[in-house]
Amino acid sequence: MRRNARILITIVIITAICGTILGVQKVRLNNLERGSDDLLGLTLGLDLQGGSHLIYQAINPETGGPEGITEDQMKSLSRTIERRVNASGLGEPIIQILGEDRLLIQLPGIKDPGRAKALIGETARLEFKHRTTDVPPKAVENITDDDIVSLKAEEVQSDGTFITDEERNNEVSSDPIETAEALVVEFTAEGFVKFNEVFQTLITSANKSMSLAQTGTLIPPARLGINIKGQEQLRYNTLGLNMYPVRTEIRGESELVVNKFIIALPSSSDGSKSTLSVEDANIKIGTDPTISFEISEGSIDEDIGLSGDDLENAYPSQHQASGAPIVNIEFNERGTKAFGELTTEIYAKQQSSGVRDQIAIILDGKELIAPVVNSPITAGTAIIQGGDFTLERVKDLALLLESGRLPVPIQLIQERDVDAMLGADSLRKSVIAGIAGLSLVLFFMILYYRVPGLIASLSLTIYAMIVLAIFKMLPLTLTLSGVAAAILSIGMAVDANILIFERMKDELRTGRTMLSSINIGFNRAWPAIRDGNVSTLITCAILYWFSDQLGATIVQGFAVTLAVGVAVSMFTAITVSRTLMRVVALTPVSRNVRLFIPTGGGEIEDHVQN
Amino acid sequence: MNFSERRPWFFLLSLLVILPGVVFLILAPGLNPGIDFTGGSSITMQFPEGAGANQKAIREKLQAIGYPESTVQNLGNSTIDDERYDLFFLRTKTLDETEKDVLVATLNDQYSPEQTNTLLSFDLVSAVIAQETVINACWAVLAATIGIFFYVWWAFRKVPRPIRYGLAAIVALLHDTLIVVGIFAILGYFLDTEVNTMFLIALLTVIGYSVNDTIVVFDKIRENVMTYTNRPFPEVVNLSISETMGRSLNTSFTLLVTLLALLLFGGATIREFLYVLIIGVIAGTYSSIAIATQVLVSWDQKTIGKLISS
Repeated sequence: MRRNARILITIVIITAICGTILGVQKVRLNNLERGSDDLLGLTLGLDLQGGSHLIYQAINPETGGPEGITEDQMKSLSRTIERRVNASGLGEPIIQILGEDRLLIQLPGIKDPGRAKALIGETARLEFKHRTTDVPPKAVENITDDDIVSLKAEEVQSDGTFITDEERNNEVSSDPIETAEALVVEFTAEGFVKFNEVFQTLITSANKSMSLAQTGTLIPPARLGINIKGQEQLRYNTLGLNMYPVRTEIRGESELVVNKFIIALPSSSDGSKSTLSVEDANIKIGTDPTISFEISEGSIDEDIGLSGDDLENAYPSQHQASGAPIVNIEFNERGTKAFGELTTEIYAKQQSSGVRDQIAIILDGKELIAPVVNSPITAGTAIIQGGDFTLERVKDLALLLESGRLPVPIQLIQERDVDAMLGADSLRKSVIAGIAGLSLVLFFMILYYRVPGLIASLSLTIYAMIVLAIFKMLPLTLTLSGVAAAILSIGMAVDANILIFERMKDELRTGRTMLSSINIGFNRAWPAIRDGNVSTLITCAILYWFSDQLGATIVQGFAVTLAVGVAVSMFTAITVSRTLMRVVALTPVSRNVRLFIPTGGGEIEDHVQN
Repeated sequence: MNFSERRPWFFLLSLLVILPGVVFLILAPGLNPGIDFTGGSSITMQFPEGAGANQKAIREKLQAIGYPESTVQNLGNSTIDDERYDLFFLRTKTLDETEKDVLVATLNDQYSPEQTNTLLSFDLVSAVIAQETVINACWAVLAATIGIFFYVWWAFRKVPRPIRYGLAAIVALLHDTLIVVGIFAILGYFLDTEVNTMFLIALLTVIGYSVNDTIVVFDKIRENVMTYTNRPFPEVVNLSISETMGRSLNTSFTLLVTLLALLLFGGATIREFLYVLIIGVIAGTYSSIAIATQVLVSWDQKTIGKLISS
């Protein structure tokens, strides 16, 4: 009895632990973190939560086949893709190398598999561009005098709004109005739209050059040249930041569409006053001015066909002489040629005109760095150095440059996308079906096998809890094929109990005591349970091995789920059911043998009589 | 009930069930392999009920946009958020991203103008992978069969002629496999039902169940052969079957209850999978009582040769 009590306590503790594991959404033990936001914190497969499952084949560019792909290339491939997908905000990918030359990428919950595939499959995300900063001004030809209604210099508030008549007349206003001198150009509706496009270009360029300035790259913002021919010539350059569109104006009660642009006049060095007074400006403008604009792009990035594909290698190191952190880059043959031509051209221009063009290095549309050129580089190896480079910065830069290309080309060979809605639907239905099925089985067991059926039901419930807790802690991904395996393993767990009860019934019929019937029943049933389950485990092992070769995750999930289920079912059928039966056998309930004989137990008398 | 005497009838019944399937399997057109085994793309889409989507219309639409080889299957309907949908399964050649988008958009325009989320799942399998799957599946089934054979042989080493138990278990296993595969060859012919990886898994589940069930009866025979050493073998087998009958039927019953619950409440996507299991469980229960044991008896009575020649 003491042994029974010990086992009973162990069972209660195991059940309590499993219950807690399942009850808590996320479990954390030391540095082990398990659980998810899904059902009971289980890890759900793509077919139950939606998502994408992609298998890529790595291809050796020289042979066009999968031969000769190294482990390092696969690892680098996996890291590169992981970085790309992570950076894209598409969710966290689960990347696994299958066999020697395949990559399994799982994207749980992803909504747009097309975008993910584009991102993963593209070999060259890294571009090298020739950046010219001395761009000649270009006339804005589509804006003519016809687009302009009026032009005059005016004093405006320095926040860019007009001074209303009321404000002008109200001399006793407590706040003196901060004013600035500006050109006010009134456009036609059509002209306003056209000029606004120019304005947007200027603003975008200004923002770009401000944000690049923070990374240490200096490029001038785009400028607008204004030419006014009136009484005299008036000509100056301005930035987008010095202009304000005024679409509407409030005059008294009503709001008028005015289509005006306010363009600040060139200011004095201290910035307080314009170098040109409103009166002087208006004199120069005269009564019938013609106006023309020209735009100077701050910089132009010219695509020279040099991409991440041409980059062989990028790694951080330190400058031999100064010890400063640098990034080394190496090009392949094609890259060496293109890079050589580029640097030679830039260097020559620098020598002749003094203008320092840059090489803009852009990853995924985001500028990494834009170094200038100190000398022509024709050997295919270069170093990038920067005054503010730290060891971390050069390491990150090298990594990013590397991630711009895949070490080997890849080809999509299998894809499985499941819509999240379908996944959720499958999950919901599986849960309902599982609960309904299990309840029916328990109901049948209790109805047919009575007290032992009740005990079997209890032990099956404990079984289900242990299996789910193991799933959560390993963690095993639950898929639809796993659900199938779970059904089979529940079937086998039920079967083990049924086997035991049938054997027990035989022993009870021969007139043995309850306790000895239980013991003999279990012992007699054991070989059948063992042999049946071992043959299932053999099947699981073979399936697992084959699916591992193949990367068939569905089959693998099935095999693992079934193996766990079968192993646990042996434990619950033998240990849990037996201990509970023994404990019940010691209670007064056991005196009523009928409660332990299956329905139709009338046979017992017949057998005894025979 | 004397099972052994009736064994010709058992064999005949099995033959009658297996034969039509085998005819379909061998003559034409065999199983209808899904993209897992042939390569290609498959798409599951849903359209609101009453939008006029049906198998024939969709197939014609696909033909019109250049996919003459495609097959369309109606998966029945589903209810999501109180809206009823018809589910369709389309199989085409391997589609790239653009082709897929065009195909989906075409069908959307036709059958679901307001709702954009009609694409439930998309699968793509390249020919290379498909070929490997076929080869690996064959090897896996073969390896599992051999593994089980040797284990049963070993587990029954204490009874006379244990190798017969191993072989009889394999005969029962093949019997169940043939029934399921045959029925799916017939379904494939009439309903375009196709076999895929899930079918393979279901088949392996059936194999696992069949062997488990057979072993339980064999275990009883093993026990009774040792107990009643002087009784004739067919009698011992009869006794063993009678003694394990209750357990066999109860186990199958509980498993079928679970499967029917899944069929009733589960999603449309695993329906075929469940059909395989239901057929397999019934076949497996029958074969462990009527086939596996009776192969042992026939062998013991040296009537195997007679059976084959007759």
